[in-house]
Amino acid sequence: MKVLQAITVTAVVLALGTLALVGASRVYGFQRTADWGYQPEQSNEKAEFAWSRLSFNSSMASYGGGGYGRFGYGRGASWMRDYPKADRQFLIAMKRLTRIQGRATEQIVNLDSDDIYNYPWVYAVQVQTWSFNEDEAKRLRQYLLKGGFLMVDDFHGSVDWENFMSGMRMVFPDRAVEDLTNKDEIFHVLYDLDDRFQVPGEQYIRTGRTYEKDGFVPKWRAIRDDKGRVMVAICFNMHLGDAWEWADDPDYPETFASMAFREGLNYVVYGMTH
Amino acid sequence: MFEFFFRYPLASFLKGRFVLLGRWPGWVLVLLMVAAAGGLGWLIWAKRGDAAPKLRTWRAGVIWGLEAALVVLVLLLLWEPAMTVAELSSQQNIIAVVVDDSRSMAIADSGSDGKAAREVAAVKSLQDGVLVGLKKRFQVRVYRLDHGVARLDTAAGDGLAQIAATGTATRIGVGLRELAAETSDLPVGAVVLLSDGGENSDGGLGNIDRETMNVLRNRRWPVHTVGFGKERATKDIEVEEINVAAHAMADSRMAATVRFQQRGYAGQKATLVVKDGDKALVSREVTLAGDGAMQTETLFFHAGTAGARSFAFQVLPLVGEKNLKNNAVTRPVVVSDEKRRILYVEGEPRWEYKFIRRAEDDDKTVQVASMLRTTENKIYRQGISDPKELESGFPVRPEDLFQYQGIILGSVEAGYFTASQQELLREFVDRRGGGVLFLGGRFSLADGGWAGSSVTDLFPTVLPPGRSTFHREAATAELTATGADSPVVRLVDDPVKNVDRWKKLTYMSDYQDAGAPKAGATVLAELKTSGRKMPLLVTQSYGRGRTAVMATSGTWRWQMSEALGDTAHDLFWQQLLRWVVGETPGRVVAGSSVSEAGQTLTDDGKVRLTASVRGIDYLPAADAKVEAHLLGPEGLSTTVEMTPAGDVPGNFVADWTAEKNGAYLAEVTADGGGKELGRDVVAFQRQDGVAENFHTEQNRAMLEKLAADTGGRYWKPEDLGRLPREISYSEAGISIRDTKELWNLPAVFLLLLILMTADWLLRRKWGVV
Repeated sequence: MKVLQAITVTAVVLALGTLALVGASRVYGFQRTADWGYQPEQSNEKAEFAWSRLSFNSSMASYGGGGYGRFGYGRGASWMRDYPKADRQFLIAMKRLTRIQGRATEQIVNLDSDDIYNYPWVYAVQVQTWSFNEDEAKRLRQYLLKGGFLMVDDFHGSVDWENFMSGMRMVFPDRAVEDLTNKDEIFHVLYDLDDRFQVPGEQYIRTGRTYEKDGFVPKWRAIRDDKGRVMVAICFNMHLGDAWEWADDPDYPETFASMAFREGLNYVVYGMTH
Repeated sequence: MFEFFFRYPLASFLKGRFVLLGRWPGWVLVLLMVAAAGGLGWLIWAKRGDAAPKLRTWRAGVIWGLEAALVVLVLLLLWEPAMTVAELSSQQNIIAVVVDDSRSMAIADSGSDGKAAREVAAVKSLQDGVLVGLKKRFQVRVYRLDHGVARLDTAAGDGLAQIAATGTATRIGVGLRELAAETSDLPVGAVVLLSDGGENSDGGLGNIDRETMNVLRNRRWPVHTVGFGKERATKDIEVEEINVAAHAMADSRMAATVRFQQRGYAGQKATLVVKDGDKALVSREVTLAGDGAMQTETLFFHAGTAGARSFAFQVLPLVGEKNLKNNAVTRPVVVSDEKRRILYVEGEPRWEYKFIRRAEDDDKTVQVASMLRTTENKIYRQGISDPKELESGFPVRPEDLFQYQGIILGSVEAGYFTASQQELLREFVDRRGGGVLFLGGRFSLADGGWAGSSVTDLFPTVLPPGRSTFHREAATAELTATGADSPVVRLVDDPVKNVDRWKKLTYMSDYQDAGAPKAGATVLAELKTSGRKMPLLVTQSYGRGRTAVMATSGTWRWQMSEALGDTAHDLFWQQLLRWVVGETPGRVVAGSSVSEAGQTLTDDGKVRLTASVRGIDYLPAADAKVEAHLLGPEGLSTTVEMTPAGDVPGNFVADWTAEKNGAYLAEVTADGGGKELGRDVVAFQRQDGVAENFHTEQNRAMLEKLAADTGGRYWKPEDLGRLPREISYSEAGISIRDTKELWNLPAVFLLLLILMTADWLLRRKWGVV
């Protein structure tokens, strides 16, 4: 009897788990992870520009795919989405297409120490999961007000937006979030990007959808400093990181990858000039 | 006493010529003197064996000296010595008595009690018998002196009651020249000048000009000077000189050096203040140096908004100070809000570029137009005035490049510029007078191939060989001694705290070996890395302009790693870039003849306006039409045409007189070919009477020199009683040459007696007699 009970419970749990997984793939999209083949090497190379990926504590670790350790490097933490292949493929493109002297490998930065001030350009993904304590929020605020630049990417839909903003409000309680327009310099600093479109994640290969969740319309938004310069560039309802990561996949459309690279390069050059 | 022994006044000996009246020639006298002295010497030497033992030593020499002197003196008297001296003929000559009537003579530090006004003491000394004594032998004319001389009305008395110490200047040189002109056909035998010596022409240097000295020598006038006033003030602080730029950029940090000295307050604290009207811009406490020592302090203050300003530099009065009017000096400064433009050429996107641009965003008077090579084929332009600006890259025509006042060259190779562009870069500094700042970087300085370029002399350092001078290693910065006094690197007003602030600045992310500074270059800051030091910020003048090297691209860490709100990074770059463009001249550069005197006319309104005019290519515009529009007190508004100076093409001058006390503004405009070439403004001020408040101690050195150079004598007031007699020894006016015998002077007989007595006494003492 006890054996039967155990088998029954196990079957129910497995059934529910399968249902949950199927539901999640429909709602959130299923995220493949590119096989980089080895653990990322940390580099001591010295260069002008270091692609800096922000690691942060996730308030909803399982929501974004898990994660363990506060800023652990274990695969699966939400801030690690597309890491490190997206970063490195972007750096390859940056080296080919610009005169920026960039490091070949990325740099992980966090808000636990002042080391972040050595990296005036920071990229963050899955920011709907981020959460800050007071010290972290203060450090990020000071970083941005001193001249640092933050690009956020890969979060979709209204729920993600609210979660993103709950963290952002700890950093800037009163600063407005604005929609960027074609007139904004960030779309012309390197490439003229008047004709932008939604860049989907890798799930597009299987689903044919350019959106995830209810993020049907891509939004290029920003938080500006007192002089109108973009401090936080918000790439909402799009997944540029995935486009960089899967740019070498023959199934992933080149147009998406190209747009993602151009947008990313514009954001980097803007961050290095404004 | 002197005349008791020598029968005649000392002045007659000083002025007389020694002669021998005897019939026999002088060489016979000399021969006899030598023979007598020699004979005596031989005699004593020959007889020394018979002399007493004591006399065989040096004592024999003493005896010989005394006896030889006795014989020589007697021989001299036989030749009838005398002196001839020129002496003014009685009642045929005029003595000009000149009394300083300037305001400094009202200072009460003279007389027997030291409390009488100088002019009162001067008048009293004349009235105490000097005038009467002079009038017994000469005609006397009394003059008052301030801006010039004016003869006193002697219709009722001696006229000295008209001396009231009210003159607003002391122009001794001018006065003596006027006196010479007025009495050109009169026999003036001598001049008596009663003054404190407070000559305040020549910028207050207290010297008598060469022209006046020539006039006095031509007239052979002995000038007898009588000094009044204390030679050393007991308690006083006096501002001697202010060195501050005549032009400044709006909201810029200005530096002024204040030179002052004090007496009676050595080691005490005093407060230096800079004021704009009633508003104190900055104040600093200083410790006063020793009595009479010249002390120099540098003050930094903000120029404020645009306009013609008059800044007052003051040492706040201390307790017991009597003369408070010499504690402050004002200087006019033209503060301009004209936008200065810098062309920043950057060869690659980098953080230094971003943060320099951000720093300049807060500077309203400096605009940075930049061209950044983002890719091999793209140039990203920022800060441009119109879409066509820099459209074709770095300018190739002078008129395009010369629109900028400064250039920054970032991480960009020399090879990026063509040979003609490099030459244009040199012309930008040399001819146009612009500033060029070279930054460190991967493609900068030696690593950018600049050492082998045609413009290597633009660098203030000798660039090292090789192309591996740029290092992405941490380096800290610290000021040199020169940098500690420079406004360019002043982050904190207090000089000591400023040096400390630099030491505490966070490290820079990289550095570059810029090489050794060239001769004439100035190292303002050094970098420290791995125990080594090398130049960080080096400046130099080049032609009409200036260049500098900042051997790093890592100061952006000052902005990111210092506390939020820390101004060090932005302030440094704003000040450095203002230095780059601040002195860059326009096509018209206005000036005035009083620029070296702090743009201040003292008691004389004559001013020469100058203008250097250049064409659109910054070559001299000799055919320009140049005018100066002057604004002054009481609504004065006039236009003066300026004419070519003749010495240098493109230089123009106009002589003008500022009639009234107050501030003046001259706007110089130049037109060429029907188009305005440019305009510039110069400010100056006329301050009558202010000079009398300075250098109020008696300038005895000048009075003594004037007397000595003219054959006169410096007198103290208490010695004036002898003046009427001694003044007669002069070759000016109508004089006769008198011969005075000297053989019968009591001093001669006394000397004979002394020699004989001494000889006798010594011989007796040493056992000869």
